Amino acid sequence: MTDSTRVRLSLAPTVIPPMSAKACCHTVADQTAGTTEPVVALVGAPNTGKSTLFNGLTGSRVTMGNWPGTTVEVSRGVWRTTLESPTCHCEDCSCADAESPLAITLLDLPGAYSLDAHSPDEQLTRGLLQDGTADERPDLCVVTVDASRLAHGLYLVSQIRELPLRVVVAVTMSDVAAQRGVSVDTVLLSQALGCPVVATDPRRRTGLAALATAVRTTLTDPAPAPRSVPASDDTLVIDDDRFTWLSAAAAQATVVPGHDRLTLSDKVDRWVTAPVAGPLIFLAVMWAVFQVTTTVAAPLQDALDRFFSGPVSHAVVSLLTLAHLNGSWVEGLLVNGLVAGVGMLLTFVPLMALMFVLLALLEDSGYLARAAVVTDRLMRTMGLPGRAFLPLVVGFGCNVPAISATRILPDARQRLLTVLLVPFTSCSARLTVFVMLGSVFFGANAGTAVFGMYVSSVALVVLVGLLLRRTLWRTMGAEPLIIDLPAYHVPTLRLTAAVVWQRLRGFLKTASGIIVITVCAVWVLQAIPTTGGEGFGHVPVENSVYGVVARSISPAFAPAGFDQWQTASALIVGFVAKEAVISSWAQTYATEQPQPGQAGLLGDHIQAAFQQSSGGHPLPAVLAFMVFLLAYTPCVATLAAQRREVGLRWTLFGVGMQLVTAWLLAVAVFQVGRLFW
Amino acid sequence: MNPGMELASAPLGTPLTLVGIDDPAHRRRLATLGLREGAAFRCLTRTIGGGRIVLVGGSRIALSRDLVQQLRAQAA
Repeated sequence: MTDSTRVRLSLAPTVIPPMSAKACCHTVADQTAGTTEPVVALVGAPNTGKSTLFNGLTGSRVTMGNWPGTTVEVSRGVWRTTLESPTCHCEDCSCADAESPLAITLLDLPGAYSLDAHSPDEQLTRGLLQDGTADERPDLCVVTVDASRLAHGLYLVSQIRELPLRVVVAVTMSDVAAQRGVSVDTVLLSQALGCPVVATDPRRRTGLAALATAVRTTLTDPAPAPRSVPASDDTLVIDDDRFTWLSAAAAQATVVPGHDRLTLSDKVDRWVTAPVAGPLIFLAVMWAVFQVTTTVAAPLQDALDRFFSGPVSHAVVSLLTLAHLNGSWVEGLLVNGLVAGVGMLLTFVPLMALMFVLLALLEDSGYLARAAVVTDRLMRTMGLPGRAFLPLVVGFGCNVPAISATRILPDARQRLLTVLLVPFTSCSARLTVFVMLGSVFFGANAGTAVFGMYVSSVALVVLVGLLLRRTLWRTMGAEPLIIDLPAYHVPTLRLTAAVVWQRLRGFLKTASGIIVITVCAVWVLQAIPTTGGEGFGHVPVENSVYGVVARSISPAFAPAGFDQWQTASALIVGFVAKEAVISSWAQTYATEQPQPGQAGLLGDHIQAAFQQSSGGHPLPAVLAFMVFLLAYTPCVATLAAQRREVGLRWTLFGVGMQLVTAWLLAVAVFQVGRLFW
Repeated sequence: MNPGMELASAPLGTPLTLVGIDDPAHRRRLATLGLREGAAFRCLTRTIGGGRIVLVGGSRIALSRDLVQQLRAQAA
């Protein structure tokens, strides 16, 4: 999730009504330049540096990376421009307006190869640029084109030039082009395309001032006459005309070597997409990712844990003592509610940061696109194209953006199937629980246990996918894989840091929003007595409203070996967000025995609980619990995203399917496991 | 059936010209990526599952086996 303001367009899966770039930019005031300021849309094919350019121009943070389709939603920011040099040469200049800084509202439209609307992403771009009226369209369109493969990006330019729009072409990736012996003459290209062309390097932030000047200058001109196309209903005839036009423009403006040079990327690709080496490299990369997030993160987590359960809790109690509130329900709410819950959650910040760094490195380096090639065959057994791997991989970071990313799938049924499968990918919030349980129950083998959960997650996606294909979607055909492979990059520190900080901020926002509310709601439910003679905030959890609810649900988990009511209650809050599972445990156990420093003993409490509920088979029981946690509803935010993409009915179907799958698997794991352990 | 050889049987690294795409459903999608009839390209790598990475107009495009089977090419 990104924290930058996003234009949330409620898109029907197939039909997109004409929409207004201006209306949607002006609906939220905070990040908008103003109602009279120009609106500029940034469009371009995936992997052309479009999102990086957006970030460089606005300073706001959006999802960036080398992966096609990362920018699924429209992001928006304010681009504060100044002119590089005055446009007029009056001696006594009065053209203050033209030279003064101008704030432009910049829209970052999803990556699109064309306006043909193969996917909802492209439909959205088409809707904003083509189908709206003149008033609804943006004032200008900046199209990013990759210099190393100019003709490839010019198809979109050819279509946009057929519309009555002001266009500026931003040529990116000139460094990659130079390595391949390709150079682009922007002046000749500008003449051939009939619009200004500026060379920029968004990764190193060069050419941004020249782009601002070109945009400012073009904005003062009327929209150019659209390029004329043959009057024909046959799309092939029109396409032929476009390709002739763009090939001529590319040939005129570029110097290319006699043949395409083979690059280091090509040599690397020979290995990473090869039949045997490819899957092995893929597994090794995934294994390394999870080793880092378990073994490297653990000491950092322990230090933060000690900090929150020790000094922070003590400081809060001391402050409350000064205010004569010690021992009151206020202390309970603050120490056992806020500090125990949110504090525990914050100890996972290093883990999340490491996970996000690794994901960002994989995305920005270009490896994830190769991973889609490697896994294509596996995806096809589920009737999903290789492209479906993108949302599923993103799901391992967070399910919410993964569900949005399903929009890159052109077929509505494939989209629906992927939306239903994404929640089975083990997101990093679930990882926090797996790591904690792994280290408590499996000690030195924690990394292996966690890795096992990821393997189970992949197996679940495959098996449920197959099951749905054999039952509900028997007639669905699979789209063949066509994926544009970006050149490998050495990830830049700034770009990686920006992506990590953006995702971490998203995580912390969840922490301070849904989680704090949940933790406090749980505390309040735990504070309300159900028996007479006990006051608010001074009731054993077992006798509270919450305890009664959890207790009534817990017998359902007896066949899976974890029918302790505290475990059931952790699963209830886990429905809201997986980050809350551990804080719920911390809270219920701390509330039971409210002595300072209890949180450090949380592992002992949980071990004792599983020992008791499983009848002496704690390991199969905890594995069953982890499997249940893996398979049931990830969080309410995922449900909200699902509802947006596939509607309420399918979302509810997904919830039901996941609960049934989770329960059956948990029971199977425990019943089989206890025969051996 | 288009003339030319199946792409699957074309040697890696040889300059090729695309002469036909059997299934018209994929024609436009491939065309926007530069793979249209008459385009000069090369197969760079044979990928897992029988697909190819092709080099066309500076772009590296990974194609799955079923697409590779639909493309006809001849030596340039």
